[in-house]
Amino acid sequence: MIKVLFFATIRDLTREKETAAEGADTVMELLLQLSDRYGPDFREEALDGDNISDRLIVLVNGRHIAHTGGGETHLSEGDNVAVFPIIGGG
Amino acid sequence: MDKFGKVLRVNLSNGTVASESLCEKTLKDYIGGRGYATKVLYDEVPKGTDPLSPENKLIFANGPLTGKGAPSAGRYMVITKSPLTGCIASSNSGGFWGAELARAGWFMIILEGKAAKPVYLWINDDKVEIRDAAAVWGKDSHAATDALLEAVGDSKAKVTCIGPAGERLSKIAAIMNDKNRAAGRSGVGAVMGSKNLKAVVVKGSARPYVENQDEMKAVLAGAMEKLKTNPVTSQGLPTYGTAVLVNIINQLGGYPKNNWQGAYFPEADTQSGETLAKDFLTKRYSCFGCPIGCGRVTKVGDREGEGPEYETIFAFGVCCGVERLEPIIEANYLCNEYGLDTISAGVTIAAAMELYEKGLIKKEELEGGPELRFGSDDAVTYWTKKMGLVEGLGKKLAEGSYRLCEMYGHPEFSMTVKKQEMPAYDGRAIQGIGLNYATSNRGGCHVRGYTISPEVLGLPEKLDPVDISTKPTWVMIFQNLTAAIDASGMCLFTSFALGADDYAAFLKAATGFDYDGAAALQAGDRIWNIERMFNLREGLDPAKEDTLPDRLLKEPIPDGPSKGMLSRLPEMLPEYYKARGWDEKGVPTDAKLQELGLK
Repeated sequence: MIKVLFFATIRDLTREKETAAEGADTVMELLLQLSDRYGPDFREEALDGDNISDRLIVLVNGRHIAHTGGGETHLSEGDNVAVFPIIGGG
Repeated sequence: MDKFGKVLRVNLSNGTVASESLCEKTLKDYIGGRGYATKVLYDEVPKGTDPLSPENKLIFANGPLTGKGAPSAGRYMVITKSPLTGCIASSNSGGFWGAELARAGWFMIILEGKAAKPVYLWINDDKVEIRDAAAVWGKDSHAATDALLEAVGDSKAKVTCIGPAGERLSKIAAIMNDKNRAAGRSGVGAVMGSKNLKAVVVKGSARPYVENQDEMKAVLAGAMEKLKTNPVTSQGLPTYGTAVLVNIINQLGGYPKNNWQGAYFPEADTQSGETLAKDFLTKRYSCFGCPIGCGRVTKVGDREGEGPEYETIFAFGVCCGVERLEPIIEANYLCNEYGLDTISAGVTIAAAMELYEKGLIKKEELEGGPELRFGSDDAVTYWTKKMGLVEGLGKKLAEGSYRLCEMYGHPEFSMTVKKQEMPAYDGRAIQGIGLNYATSNRGGCHVRGYTISPEVLGLPEKLDPVDISTKPTWVMIFQNLTAAIDASGMCLFTSFALGADDYAAFLKAATGFDYDGAAALQAGDRIWNIERMFNLREGLDPAKEDTLPDRLLKEPIPDGPSKGMLSRLPEMLPEYYKARGWDEKGVPTDAKLQELGLK
């Protein structure tokens, strides 16, 4: 099982803070699965055609997927995936 | 040059007030604000000056964009020699005070000497009076502001003042304007207190001068489009404030817990921007001319006030092991009222908690106050109040974390750089920000070079936080750009959407000087180097002070996503010196100083 956490405005789309997913071998597969679950608004935010949207920050076990293979980042049982919109602060 | 505003020089020892003109070359080379005022401090304050003596100077300085048509351009700087660090103090604040100073026709105020008794300054356009402050001395920043507005008979005047912490010379005292906005860092409030100056009240009636209004309007239109379409400035910051960072920094494993004894807090969502917006936010607050509106107006029980920012949540929250937002918000309100820097205050309490839990602070010293244990809601509010009043054990806390830990013989428990408390990102998990802390001219600080933007948020590029290969150059560029932005009078948060060329275009429209992006960055480089020269002249030892606490260099993060990590500062620092054009000891070379016109 993969634990998926949602933050900030992403929660408005999922209407829950976290969920569990199974059967996704990559981050891309996971986001497609979640898009089916949460509907077109989530899909629009998460995906840009065949790619993961630039408006999304996805961490797998604390590592930004930009540094681990992007959408092809491999997922394993027990992984923690955190999904954020682009945010900032200081 | 008087069209850009004049320089007000006030000698509090002899009660004289003088008006001077700006120097065109200095204005062009140093932009204004942080830059121009640092040049003045460097030239006028003798080497070795005691920061709390009459010989130190306290400078309030606008940028050439403060109060003009640029977005989020209501910022002013407070420049002085810091009693906390002994280095340059360079604190920035928003609100409305700076814009009002510009409307009154003043670019900068240089305060010298020390008044014989408490006074405040009343600036009504070009009329300037030094007035008796006996009636407001001792009052907190809110009560003092209300009383001063009544005293000057103009409710639309703007007040910047100190609270009891500044009056009693706490080395982590802030200067508070518009009640809840802070020039917070490096103990600038203590310098104001040392001069017996309670407040500067200002009212202006003129429209600040812009060299080319049409050009300004065109630049503004382009910049507003970028701010409105950027997800950070149009959505994240307005909706959640800076506290939106709590969850992402924690998920990355860089959220410093229990005085940096950890970097991951499973309960972080309880104190997140999301929870703050849902349970405590009553409305947003926007500073002068700001389309972002990141400020939070909050309510807890029957108390209403401003804050907390991300940094404050970290300092009184995770750093003290505290989970709930209620005590964090209350501590923030107390800091606003007593005039304390929230980062230094919270991190100092965290250090006190470690000292207490290790048996170094004894129970008798608490004089019946709550035990200084990590996770204690009561401890953070109670000891913040004691610190703000500088009484009991609070007197030791008011000296800041470094001096507190040194008093107990364990400076290694102080999470400071150059004796200033570090902010809310763990330099072991995010390498560039650690290098920025170690090299910040004002001591531990995130907003000298906010590499969190590329290292965590992916703006403007996605840099790997654990990689160090390009960090020295990135840190340097961010430090230079930030110096230019601070000098301009615009808010750093606009930089999520704008770049060096945008700031240069605003500066060119406002002043007529031929700035471009490269010139703005070079001015930032010049500011950085004169700050460095000031610090070196005042005795900074780079070998001992361009560093991080041993905990970040020798104690791996114990758990969470960044488990096992250490700062790789020793590998990055020589490369940073090289990138800056400094020698291997961290001293600017003659060639560098000549390039910048500093020699």
